[in-house]
Amino acid sequence: MLQFNPLKVECTLFFEENPYTLETAEGLALRLGRKTAELVLILEHLVTDSILEKIGDGEQAIYRYVQPDNFQIPREFIWE
Amino acid sequence: MSQYTSTGIHGLDFLLNGGFPAGASILIEGLPGTGKTNLSMQFLYNGAVQYDEPGIYITFEELPGQLYKEMKAFGWDIPALERENKLRVLCISPQVLLEQMERQNGLFEQMIQEMDCKRIVIDSISLFQIGDDSVEIKRKTLYKLRNILRKFNLTALLIQEQTAAIDPEVSYINYVVDGVIRLSLKDFKEHYRQRTLEVLKMRGRKIVEGEHIYRITDEGIQLLPAFSMVEDKSHLYESNTVTTGIAKLDQLLDGGIPHGSAFIIDTNSKANYKYLAASIAVNRLLAGESLIILLSSLSTINDIEFLYELYGVNLKEYVEKKKIFFIEHYNRPSPPGFEGAIIDVSNLDNDEYRKIIVNGLEPFTHSTLNPEEKWFVYYDLNTIVSQRGKAFLETFYAEEISRLNSAGFSVLSLSNFTELGPQLSSFVERTSNGVIKTWVEGSYQYVQLLKSPLGKMSSPLLVENINKKPFINLI
Repeated sequence: MLQFNPLKVECTLFFEENPYTLETAEGLALRLGRKTAELVLILEHLVTDSILEKIGDGEQAIYRYVQPDNFQIPREFIWE
Repeated sequence: MSQYTSTGIHGLDFLLNGGFPAGASILIEGLPGTGKTNLSMQFLYNGAVQYDEPGIYITFEELPGQLYKEMKAFGWDIPALERENKLRVLCISPQVLLEQMERQNGLFEQMIQEMDCKRIVIDSISLFQIGDDSVEIKRKTLYKLRNILRKFNLTALLIQEQTAAIDPEVSYINYVVDGVIRLSLKDFKEHYRQRTLEVLKMRGRKIVEGEHIYRITDEGIQLLPAFSMVEDKSHLYESNTVTTGIAKLDQLLDGGIPHGSAFIIDTNSKANYKYLAASIAVNRLLAGESLIILLSSLSTINDIEFLYELYGVNLKEYVEKKKIFFIEHYNRPSPPGFEGAIIDVSNLDNDEYRKIIVNGLEPFTHSTLNPEEKWFVYYDLNTIVSQRGKAFLETFYAEEISRLNSAGFSVLSLSNFTELGPQLSSFVERTSNGVIKTWVEGSYQYVQLLKSPLGKMSSPLLVENINKKPFINLI
């Protein structure tokens, strides 16, 4: 069920559009306009899916985007 | 290693004598809408594209996605440069950034090394200055931040938001950073706003001072340095200039005052212009030119004789050789030996005066019988106004300058633009090829080149009195 969570999509899109984001859950909540507690669950799931990388632990843990393999492929060849 | 980092923004590099000091932290301050982000991103973009210097743009508030779109308007494809690892827009909180910067082999250090980063922008430093922390902690934070940037030898632009048009307190960050650039928006001609850039501080670089206009164009910021006027082509290739005797002035005029040009010295009542004028006139004599001087009420022939003697010129010798003549408006006795050199116009009305000047001088100027002879005329316009009236000057001056120029004469006119009034002074200025202004402000005298045949202008230069020729030094 979590697979189709709109917040997960929103979060993934955020990192896709802003790929060099290094942020705590609280910082991301602020940028997305969401509640930190709800976002933490989604972020953990994205880490499990290898979409995000988590650096550190606790409230100060930082999340960053794991660039997909196709990142090196010229844009015109990527289906959007 | 280069000692400076070119911004790639031509006008700005000119102001900075090449670019920012390499590894320096520069504060970019300005009100919202002044173009701080554009200028900073242009610095990174040019670094990545033109100078092979990768850069990082750190944004605390604006999202990178938005910046990509905005920069696309200038034709800058930031994501493409990110894919080449030449530029990166980092979205991060101030606290997270600082923590990672402090950490040994933290994410910041890793990124700098991975990219071989040389340039960085932090947008904005203002966020380090707000919050509940004490002033001391905030100062230490900024000091540490600058030290980390310096440690990695990053040339950094630190953006600072100005919250009011006039900031009464100079922020302490101004002391910590190596340079400060201020961007301003000012009212211009009632309905317009003008953007200006001023370099307030730049350690280790010679800079061009003053406010300089810039525009945000389709290709980014374009800055036009002040004091760069359109060159006067008719005098541009005229290499036979005559030195003014004042080194700094010669440097500004590319050698001196060209033959056949008309220059003005605009002075206020307090300023001492006599050394400036005497140095220019004496050097014309020494260069072999003949001289016509319109005497003022304040300078007698004896005064001029004494003054020129200081420059090693014996006036009587030039009188005997018929190389110098005086136009005398005041009924004063002629000093012995000068009688034949004085054109007495004291009792002439304006029509008679005009005839004498137009026709009467010819016997003198032709008496040398040398068609190669060059002439230099020194006019005191204040005397013409007081003796002949403003209306006379208005009709006479353009005609006279035109006549003298066509005959190859060079002219130096002394004037007080304030006394002439805006209309007449504007007219006189337009008629001239060069304008040198001198004035006293507070306890100092200044000289400024406001117009010259080569289009150069100068900033106000301080006048230092010295005890040897030319008796003034411009600093």
